[in-house]
Amino acid sequence: MTYRITSPRLGELGAIWEPSEGINVDALIAGGFIEDVSATPSKSARTKFVTEAPDADQNIEE
Amino acid sequence: MATTTYLSNPTLSVNSVDLQDQCHAATLTVKYDALESTAFGGTSRVYVAGLGDHELTVDLYMSYAASETYATLAALVGTATTVKLKPTTGATSATNPEFTLTGTYLEALPVINASLGELSSITLTFKGGTYTVATS
Repeated sequence: MTYRITSPRLGELGAIWEPSEGINVDALIAGGFIEDVSATPSKSARTKFVTEAPDADQNIEE
Repeated sequence: MATTTYLSNPTLSVNSVDLQDQCHAATLTVKYDALESTAFGGTSRVYVAGLGDHELTVDLYMSYAASETYATLAALVGTATTVKLKPTTGATSATNPEFTLTGTYLEALPVINASLGELSSITLTFKGGTYTVATS
């Protein structure tokens, strides 16, 4: 798990934070002091959707 | 020679969160259960140390703003955490030791303590945990 600091009371904003022994990580997340960035998908993992123009040759005949 | 220790700038962190600017009193008591070991032939009661039973009491100004007292403590009540105390903000050393209670239990949290015309303040007691002292 990777965490990022979101409150200056914990350290430099945006820095990666490593929990030490005995620290209640859930309480820090609940209090808004850190955020879990390990679950954020990387850019390359995002699904790319391609929108194509409708085919003009496809005519629906009734 | 008599000396006087005047501490006005101790540091306090609760669950890694720096709460120095909300704290106005702190008492860390290191205690071990006294197990009697007096035996026949002894003329006075004697004791040996049993389990550690340490306790930290802190007085904090209450604030419900983001990243302040309530946000730090709300999810900690009923759980164990780590608290650290130092006499001053300087580097940890033999003359500025850092006291740590690891796995100490927060039994109760007064979520509101208000009196007319006074700043809201709460008293917390952290019970138990492993006591260590760092000097470097």
